[in-house]
Amino acid sequence: MKRDELQHSHSRALAAAGRLRLPLRSKVWRGQAGDFNGSGTGSSLDFQDHRSYVPGDDPRHLNWQAYARTGHYTMKLFREEVRPVVDLVFDASESMFFDPAKAARSAELFYFIIESVRGSGASVSVHVVRGDASLRIDPDSIHTHRWLEMARAMPASDTAGAPDLSRIQFRANAVRVLVSDLLFPGDPEPLLRHLGQRHGSILIFSPFLESEAKPAWTGNYEFVDAERQSRHQHRIEPNVLERYLTAYARHFTLWKQSAQRHQAAFARIPVETDLATALFNGAVTAGALEPSH
Amino acid sequence: MITLANPYGLWALIGIPVVIAIHFLQRKSIVLPVSTLFLLEKTQRESASGRRFDRLMNSVPLWMQLLAILILAWILAEPRYQKPRSTQRVAVVLDSSASMAVAKERMLGILAQKLPPLKGPAAALELTVFESTPGRPRLFAGDSVEKLVESLKTWTPRDGLVDPAQVIRLARSLVSREGIVVYVTDTPNGSLPFDARQLALGEAIGNVGFTGVSFSREGDTLTWRALVRNYGTEPATRSWHLESPSGRSGEKSITLEPGGLASLQAAFPTGTDKARVVLSADRFTTDDVLPLVRPAAKPLALYAATSEAFADLTKKLLRSIESIQPVNDAASSDLALISYDPLDPALPQGNAVVFVHDGTQGGAYLKGGIVAEKDPLIDGLNWQSLLVRETISLERGQRDKVILWQEQRPLIFIRDVPATATTPAARQLCFNFDLKRSNAASQPGFIVMLHRFAESIREAKVAPAADNLETNEPIRLATRSGTTEKPASPLETLSSDIGGKTLRDAKLELPLVDPLTAPLDPGFFAIKQGDETLLSASVHFGDTREADFNACGSADDLDQGAGNAVERHTMEDPWWRLAVLALVVMLLVSWRYTASSSKGQVPSSNKEPLTSNL
Repeated sequence: MKRDELQHSHSRALAAAGRLRLPLRSKVWRGQAGDFNGSGTGSSLDFQDHRSYVPGDDPRHLNWQAYARTGHYTMKLFREEVRPVVDLVFDASESMFFDPAKAARSAELFYFIIESVRGSGASVSVHVVRGDASLRIDPDSIHTHRWLEMARAMPASDTAGAPDLSRIQFRANAVRVLVSDLLFPGDPEPLLRHLGQRHGSILIFSPFLESEAKPAWTGNYEFVDAERQSRHQHRIEPNVLERYLTAYARHFTLWKQSAQRHQAAFARIPVETDLATALFNGAVTAGALEPSH
Repeated sequence: MITLANPYGLWALIGIPVVIAIHFLQRKSIVLPVSTLFLLEKTQRESASGRRFDRLMNSVPLWMQLLAILILAWILAEPRYQKPRSTQRVAVVLDSSASMAVAKERMLGILAQKLPPLKGPAAALELTVFESTPGRPRLFAGDSVEKLVESLKTWTPRDGLVDPAQVIRLARSLVSREGIVVYVTDTPNGSLPFDARQLALGEAIGNVGFTGVSFSREGDTLTWRALVRNYGTEPATRSWHLESPSGRSGEKSITLEPGGLASLQAAFPTGTDKARVVLSADRFTTDDVLPLVRPAAKPLALYAATSEAFADLTKKLLRSIESIQPVNDAASSDLALISYDPLDPALPQGNAVVFVHDGTQGGAYLKGGIVAEKDPLIDGLNWQSLLVRETISLERGQRDKVILWQEQRPLIFIRDVPATATTPAARQLCFNFDLKRSNAASQPGFIVMLHRFAESIREAKVAPAADNLETNEPIRLATRSGTTEKPASPLETLSSDIGGKTLRDAKLELPLVDPLTAPLDPGFFAIKQGDETLLSASVHFGDTREADFNACGSADDLDQGAGNAVERHTMEDPWWRLAVLALVVMLLVSWRYTASSSKGQVPSSNKEPLTSNL
């Protein structure tokens, strides 16, 4: 994709971010001061609880009315307001970009997550993975749309395998957003376990093509593997296609079940429809997004 | 049994490799980038690359089209089923000319090979074999080619050149219009009558052989003279020798240019009546041997009771006619020259040449056209220059046959005197004019006619003779006739070798059913009646047309007309309509699958990988 195409994707994502947002308010946060309710007591205006005064407490929060009634120093406790933390993990493997529509949708999801996080005032850390390689993207590269070139320039030994998240430093209590088509073999459990470490909440956005889910293959094909660029001769008969569809469904059923076990929101985003519709149909119902109003 | 009426229909099977090739081309893979290859490979091991033929065979349209081609080939080949009890009749006419002896062994092998296929689609084969010489019994009749070949091993072709049309016609009538007539020869013939097929097996070989023999006598020495010819196209060298019961001469060599003739001559061996000239053998051996006997014509006794005026004529006859001797007794003579005297009109009862003797000065020359009747004695003779004066006439009987007229006057007539109880039948040649008062003595026709008459008398005479004949040459043999009380003795033919040892003998009852002919094999033979040897003869092969192999060659028309036999002995496939229906169904199924496949194919033009844009 070229930068102008990325720019267009960014524009579409920005529009969608005005209507949908990440479900950050449904979570109790801990961390830096911000606009979201924290798990501890803080300096917000929201009353939370009372407790007995102990030396060292801020005398401004003494409940003088209660002292007048009871003669004991009672402290008024207010809810803490913190800033949410989001770690975005973007799968930059070849399968995400081999199809123009899928590439555009992947970029849109990337920009949508970032803009949604920014709109919420949360802190976002962007990581791009490609096989066993990973890279943290600085905000400037995102702003200038150079992030994809940087991701493509990463040396990766095997892009066809599951992304290696072991080198990514996830922040504690962060919302971990994974944008990936999940088209790699293997058990999703290790990857999800990794995403969920350090009290992370997992959101998964998986763009998919209708031609991947329900291909109309028949006859002889020379399939070019999007990851390795290797060529494979296949003859597709109806029974072969049937088995493929079964394997495809089983693959994502396994991801869905694993996501449920890890209390992760798992949203499959179709490529063929516009972004807002696709997100509303795929992500809102799955709990990965919520309407802004 | 199934027969293909149109085997060329099997060319439709060429469509099988064509269809396979087209399917290979059509089945060229669509290049398509995919991201889910791991899912496909996990579930579809059997569709991996490297088994193109298996993938090809799984195609329903391919199978349908292959089956359609098979059915189409089946329909086009027009399969026919054998009718029960159908019989193919085949009549084989063998060229019985002597030259076939060279090709006989080869012929047996080829017949064993060529005849069984003539059965074609019929259930049975009926074989009949004839010789090309008319009148011969058939050589074989049966249904076994092996037995046919076995029976022909003893057959020997020995005849001269024979027109096979008569026997081919007989064969055609035997096998009817549906049968097959095969003429086996060594010389290809352009066209054969009666729809006969030709099987020519000859080859142009070189041959050297005797063409004939003649004898001359110088004093007491009898000399034979034989002609040898090289029929081939290459110079040939042969050796020859003379054999007789007393011994054999040394070998002598002769060299003949292509088509050249050589004359061999020598004195007939003394002390024997048989000899044999032998050439070194070549492939055609029949004309390599020339048997000889010392020729001896039947003696003819001539009684000349004419006046002195016919003395010159008598001398001429005695000098020019072979084995004729003068006798003074008319009763013991075989032929008499007699003058008719009107004063003594009684004529002798035996064979005679009668002239008118007119003592007068004679009248004027007879006028008017001279007309010859048709008679062997006078055929081909010119009498237009004959001048005859008016003389007295012979008394002509009613049964006398005039053979020469001048206007209304019979000039020459023949009188046949029937046999009586005491005298045998006789023949008299009567000249109804005075020889001296005509120019008849200087007419060639007159002398020739006298010779012919003398030879006819000699022919009718029962007496021993010795002659050198050609094979199968007709023999005119006078035999003794019997009476009711004492029937004539049968004839006995004896074939012998040069030493006199009898090889074969046979008896022939009189009267003869068939004309008497010389044997077909060269050699010596004799004909006896009772104890009397009527003929001693040698037989040699002298048919130069048969000895010349330059026109021999090979030809084979046996395959013609096979289609008619197929239709005659078979019936059409009763299921051909079903086959056509199956063909249509398979084409429709193939079309249906092909159409649906084309509809379901994903165009690959917009599926190019994007890596180049990244």
